[in-house]
Amino acid sequence: MTLFAWLSSILVAVIVLTVTAFGLWWERKLAGRMQSRLGPTIVGPIGLFQPIADLLKLVQKEPIIPQRADRALFWLAPPLTTLFALLVAALVPFGPKLAPANIDVGVPLIIALGGLALIPVWMAGWASHNKYALLGAMRAVAQSVSYGVPLVLTALVPVILAGSMNLNSIVAWQHRHHWLVVWPVFLGLPAFILFILAMLAEANRIPFDIPEAESELVAGVSTEYTGMHFGFIYLAEYVHTLVGSAVASTLFLGGWDGPFGPSVLWMVLKTCLLFSVLYWLRWSLVRLRADQLMALAWKWLVPAGLALVLLAAVWTQTPWGR
Amino acid sequence: MEATPAWRKLPYRRLELYEPEGDLMTLQLGPQHPSTHGVLRIKLHLDGERIVKAVPFPGYLHRAVEKLCEQLTYVQIAPIVDKNDYVAPMTSEQAIILAIEKLLKVEVPRRARWLRSALAELQRVASHLLWLGTMTLDLGGALGGGGSVFVYTMRERELVLDLFEGLTGSRFHYNTHTVGGNRHDVPAGWAKDMHAALDLIEKRIPEYETLTQNNRLFVERMRGIGVLEPELALELGVTGPNLRASGVDHDLRRDAPFHAYDEVATNVITAKAGDCLARTQVRVAEMKESVRLARAFIDGLPEGPLVSGKPIKLPGQFKVNSGQVYAALESARGELGTFLVAGAGTSPYRLKIRPPSYHAISALPYLLPGHTVSDTVAILGSLDPIMGEVDR
Amino acid sequence: MGYLLDGLKSMWTTALNAIRPPFTQEFPKVLRPHPERYHTSFALLHDETGDEACTGCGACARICPSQVITVKLGKRESAITQKKRGYADDFTLDLTACLVCELCVQVCPTDAIVMLKVPELPGFRREDLVLSMPRLYENEKSKPLGWSNATKLMAMQDPKAGAAKPEPSKETAPAPAAAGAAS
Repeated sequence: MTLFAWLSSILVAVIVLTVTAFGLWWERKLAGRMQSRLGPTIVGPIGLFQPIADLLKLVQKEPIIPQRADRALFWLAPPLTTLFALLVAALVPFGPKLAPANIDVGVPLIIALGGLALIPVWMAGWASHNKYALLGAMRAVAQSVSYGVPLVLTALVPVILAGSMNLNSIVAWQHRHHWLVVWPVFLGLPAFILFILAMLAEANRIPFDIPEAESELVAGVSTEYTGMHFGFIYLAEYVHTLVGSAVASTLFLGGWDGPFGPSVLWMVLKTCLLFSVLYWLRWSLVRLRADQLMALAWKWLVPAGLALVLLAAVWTQTPWGR
Repeated sequence: MEATPAWRKLPYRRLELYEPEGDLMTLQLGPQHPSTHGVLRIKLHLDGERIVKAVPFPGYLHRAVEKLCEQLTYVQIAPIVDKNDYVAPMTSEQAIILAIEKLLKVEVPRRARWLRSALAELQRVASHLLWLGTMTLDLGGALGGGGSVFVYTMRERELVLDLFEGLTGSRFHYNTHTVGGNRHDVPAGWAKDMHAALDLIEKRIPEYETLTQNNRLFVERMRGIGVLEPELALELGVTGPNLRASGVDHDLRRDAPFHAYDEVATNVITAKAGDCLARTQVRVAEMKESVRLARAFIDGLPEGPLVSGKPIKLPGQFKVNSGQVYAALESARGELGTFLVAGAGTSPYRLKIRPPSYHAISALPYLLPGHTVSDTVAILGSLDPIMGEVDR
Repeated sequence: MGYLLDGLKSMWTTALNAIRPPFTQEFPKVLRPHPERYHTSFALLHDETGDEACTGCGACARICPSQVITVKLGKRESAITQKKRGYADDFTLDLTACLVCELCVQVCPTDAIVMLKVPELPGFRREDLVLSMPRLYENEKSKPLGWSNATKLMAMQDPKAGAAKPEPSKETAPAPAAAGAAS
């Protein structure tokens, strides 16, 4: 591994964590305004240092381990959730040259790593020795397994059209032709929407946040966690959403491709915009029930994804899509 | 042999069929749980996520209010009892005052009766607003769309509380009713403020409908969930919007008018389905109807004295030696009744409050089995129980 | 498709609310306006001669539903009018269990006890919420007094009020004294 790869990986991790921290502030501010509230105002100018205050609070708190919990798994699970969420970020190209891990199987690897994030969640749920946590973990597994399928199928559409599994090549293809949501719109837009839905479900966000549905399961897998352990799980969810938005904008919105200026800026801008829309969605909708979620995945998203893959394959054989 | 009621034939309603087996998971939902509306504990026997048997355990908020009232005089009871239903203190105060007035055979001036009706309707609006907020909170989570609806409804409920504060000086627990009338007269400009607040609430109700009952995501969660058959509801004594959502046309405001409801006609809103969605629709429609009624009552507020008889000066001002009465009114949650047996002198011998919420949660063992854990909170929320009222 | 449409409608509603002015305030910095009748804590007043208005009759202590008021009656000569009258030797009001029901204010024969119009009453110790007699008299001087006193509350509840304007309904006439209502 070259020095450049090391440095860029660290850079990307720092960028992602910083953006996530301020994404936290941004979400709270945005949610406040959407609810006709003020949002954070006290810590720093317009409450900008609120995430830092939150972090300090979480670090100070005593980590409590339930007596009958599986200590090793209980300790290990939260950092792993964040780690796996961050790993995905290493694969996302932030510029034509700035791709920490520019590998040829980028798309399957991203989806595999996204699926891997499930394991620490199950670990946490199992190790907590809590029925709510266990129910939450079971829901998380069911949901993640179900939504992995449409996620793969919709991610295959840009792969088929661009003819590459390398994320950077897909962006380069979009740079040469069109952004995928723009053209072919009948393939790109539905695939984009389905991808966003499946990604939300993978990241356990409303309206698909049933694994931690706090009105039903208290807090799902994070019920027994305190302090920074809870912080890691919380952070993982945000990183997951952020990285998911980054992947979605890479696959469908042209990634680092922009009319002018540096490519990193465009990537960050698109990601943040998508991130904000997802927040907006979150603060507007109620959650679905577990069985409705499964029905949505298997009855609608999977057939639609299959149809899209088929269409994309046909489209590449037509004179316009060649 | 007695014929089996239709609702009892459904397999999951036949509670005697189910004994928690060793391999069923027991989940204690509550008493400390985000969405048990206080401190209700429900013991759920789960098969996977499906509920096989549910047993509610009320009593975690028992404060012995009824026993306490036996030590207090008729004058002192009202401010204590309005803590029962802490979401609608105005009507819980009115309920006890109605019973005391009936026992003492005190007549209430017309102005006080109209003012009481207006306050009751305002309180119903406030209570239903809070209910809609918490209901969506149960469905959508505090960190999501549910939280948004909750904050919106709280915002509009504040308007009503501001009105109450302008009238009585308190936002909650008003003690504005006294035996034989009301303690606080309407201040100047209050009616205008009330119209402004009601106009705003009426304007905002369609927004909540967009987020809740007109939103297919919300409807999917609510439709066909927790169907309460009218026979079962009547058997359990469920009243109020829960009963009306099951298609039983019963409203004390029309059927046994108290206050000034015999002078202003009430449109009783009913729905057929009896599920959570029907309960939502009934309550939202009732909110609109209550806005209309509150306007009518404040516009037609007659002149005259506010209290009949002497105002309260002494704790033992009202004496009665015997008698027993039952008085009931339609609170936001249903028939809020008070059974009062007079003791010798100034205190009651026995006071029994019939809270509508208690009867509503008694339907839980019949409603929950067959549904999932997610539906538990929807069903519980849609019944609108207030644990302060259940446990007293 | 309908789901997406309804989701968009919901998002539109939240966006609509985002451009409305916030209804919350930064609490310690900004206080909401209080209506005239707002009331929280208590104060004991002096009468027009400058003497303590409380006669120590204990009517407030007897009517209090949660029995938070204790009054000790003492008789002595007034320093101002030189007449012998009742005084409260000790007067304690425990706000920890107070219901803020205003009954003590209503029953006071000399308008001695009133409520305050202060925003709130936080404290770090329980003793902060127990109002002793010096504190009650201190409140009279240092805090804004509330709207109500016994005279005003009684005038509002006067059974003969508004009787000058007769109503078409016969019920507006003062109702006959209730059975056993006389005391």
